[in-house]
Amino acid sequence: MPGVLDEIKQAVIDGNAGAAKELTNKALAAKVDALEIFQVALIPAMDEVGRRMQAEEYYIPEVLLSARAMRTSSEILKPLIAGNPNMKPAGKVVIGTVRGDLHDIGKNLVAMMLEGASFEISDLGINVTPDQFVAKVNEVKPNLVALSAMLTTTMMGMKETIEALKQAGVRSSVKVMVGGAPVNQRFADEIGADGYAADAATAANLAKSLVA
Amino acid sequence: MDAMTPRQRFMAALHNRAVDRVPVASPTSVATVELMDATGAFFPAVHTDGETMARLAAGGHDILGFDTVAPIFSIAQEAAALGCGMDWGRKDWMPINTTSPFAEPEDVRIPGDYLEKPSIRACLDAIGILRHRYGDRVAVIGKVMGPWTLSYHARGVQEFLMDTVLDPDKARRFLEVLMPASLLFARAQIEAGADAIVIADHCTGDMVRAQNYRDFLLPLHKVMNRELSFPTILHCCGKALDRMEYFAQAGFTSYHFESKNDPRESMAIVNGRMTLMGNINNPSTLLKGSPADVEREARAAIDAGVQVLAPECAVPLITPNRNLQAIVQAAAAFGKKRL
Ligand code: B12
Repeated sequence: MPGVLDEIKQAVIDGNAGAAKELTNKALAAKVDALEIFQVALIPAMDEVGRRMQAEEYYIPEVLLSARAMRTSSEILKPLIAGNPNMKPAGKVVIGTVRGDLHDIGKNLVAMMLEGASFEISDLGINVTPDQFVAKVNEVKPNLVALSAMLTTTMMGMKETIEALKQAGVRSSVKVMVGGAPVNQRFADEIGADGYAADAATAANLAKSLVA
Repeated sequence: MDAMTPRQRFMAALHNRAVDRVPVASPTSVATVELMDATGAFFPAVHTDGETMARLAAGGHDILGFDTVAPIFSIAQEAAALGCGMDWGRKDWMPINTTSPFAEPEDVRIPGDYLEKPSIRACLDAIGILRHRYGDRVAVIGKVMGPWTLSYHARGVQEFLMDTVLDPDKARRFLEVLMPASLLFARAQIEAGADAIVIADHCTGDMVRAQNYRDFLLPLHKVMNRELSFPTILHCCGKALDRMEYFAQAGFTSYHFESKNDPRESMAIVNGRMTLMGNINNPSTLLKGSPADVEREARAAIDAGVQVLAPECAVPLITPNRNLQAIVQAAAAFGKKRL
């Protein structure tokens, strides 16, 4: 039933959550496989959104609306996919903006692209202390910890968080990726992170390569 | 002997009139940890105590040598007074609003005692103290958040941005109920002795289209400038070449712009309708660069005809004072006699 899959994809690209929900239910009623909807409609839709963002065709409001439409659909699909042996989540990610920093748009876009790449996300929000990261890591046992900072002064919070993970004895069980406007590869290397990406689209590829 | 006092110099340049040299100003925060140590006035106490706020702001002239002093170091003073949850941070952190409690514009109430809320009162007290202290020698810059940024705080950034697409009318009502808060605070700052008011409204090219500015904010900015009829400076960081034309139509005296925008191109767009101040880069130049790097950027701005030199945005708290002082040195060395 390729027609409805194209329509779902388009609804997500258009940021139309209502249509995404309706069409997802329609596809399921017509016995389209939930995993197929995810892989053939949602993931390519988010790839396209990422492309438009990089090309500056989409600004933040459109990207947020697409993310919301994707979430509406994937929430319906997730319970159905959970039992499917062909659907292994790509991995679990704990993500947050470090202590002292409120910038979260970039972090949210990264979370959304990771979700689009079928990672399971625990988002701790903004102003997250090293202890809160450690507690969440102990709780959900993720493969990846993703740290965001937009202020030069809060970048050091990333280092503190990595130290805290070491102290807690869980550093070796996770990969740490970092990003945000003032962050670069050199800084990531200096603080002992496993990876850095400059934008949300490359962040998804980085995450996949880190858990591979 | 300088021909002009710092205040005369700043006010003249602000209005594109002749100056003895290009002035250096602080339309956004120049608070640094070094200044805190030197003045004994520290974050977070400065945000809610007028005397301490004024002491730190004075460092901008007494220690850095800027032609202006500017209290109000965070963008959350109003958010706190409107009822958002706050984390005031510590010595080396900027404050954060932790909640955005208003789902509907109709829920927003500007408290009757708005100007007496500690985070607002402190700013007004600080302006009064600085005015008294410097008389007519040094310019005192005030600052309010405009309706767009107040909507970020009140409604939440993402929710508000989505409203602009899904329910533009609702987004407009948010802007309209919050504009009076900006005006109320601006008028009180003028009353307290400010020489010019920065209106910070983050309708930036990093997030939204130029048309968003034109359709949502330009009409309100026109009203604000008309109602205040006082020197105003728009602050909107990020990429802005695509919307500077609209900024120029809004009636601001000046626009404070970021290093992402080429100073020559910016001057050409604005074309004498308002002045420009900026646009020394914060993260690479002021924070990590050398005084020579600062000098190079300052000269580029001076050569382009930018009327007032300034850091592009609130400086990172760990910026070395010597790099900020280097802006003043560059102005003295290369910004001689204008017009
Ligand atoms: C919008 C904005 C705000 C909004 C924030 C809204 C929000 N909820 O996020 C508001 C107005 C509230 C704000 C507040 C402040 N801001 Co501000 N803000 C910006 C602005 C204009 C755009 C940021 C943005 O959202 N960009 C769009 C997103 C999509 O891009 P992004 O964040 O870079 O994210 C991408 C990548 O970096 C990457 N990425 C991000 N995180 C991660 C994480 C991982 C793991 C990976 C792999 C990748 C990754 O992928 C993202 C998507 O592609 C920038 C200007 C700029 N040039 O960046 C200033 C800027 C970040 N802000 C700045 C400042 C100074 C402040 C304030 C301190 C101002 C003040 N005086 O109080 C406060 C912060 C208070 C605090 N304690 O945090 C400075 C920071 C300077 C510095 N380096 O220290 C900037 C750079 C402006 C400047 N030129 O000086 N700000």
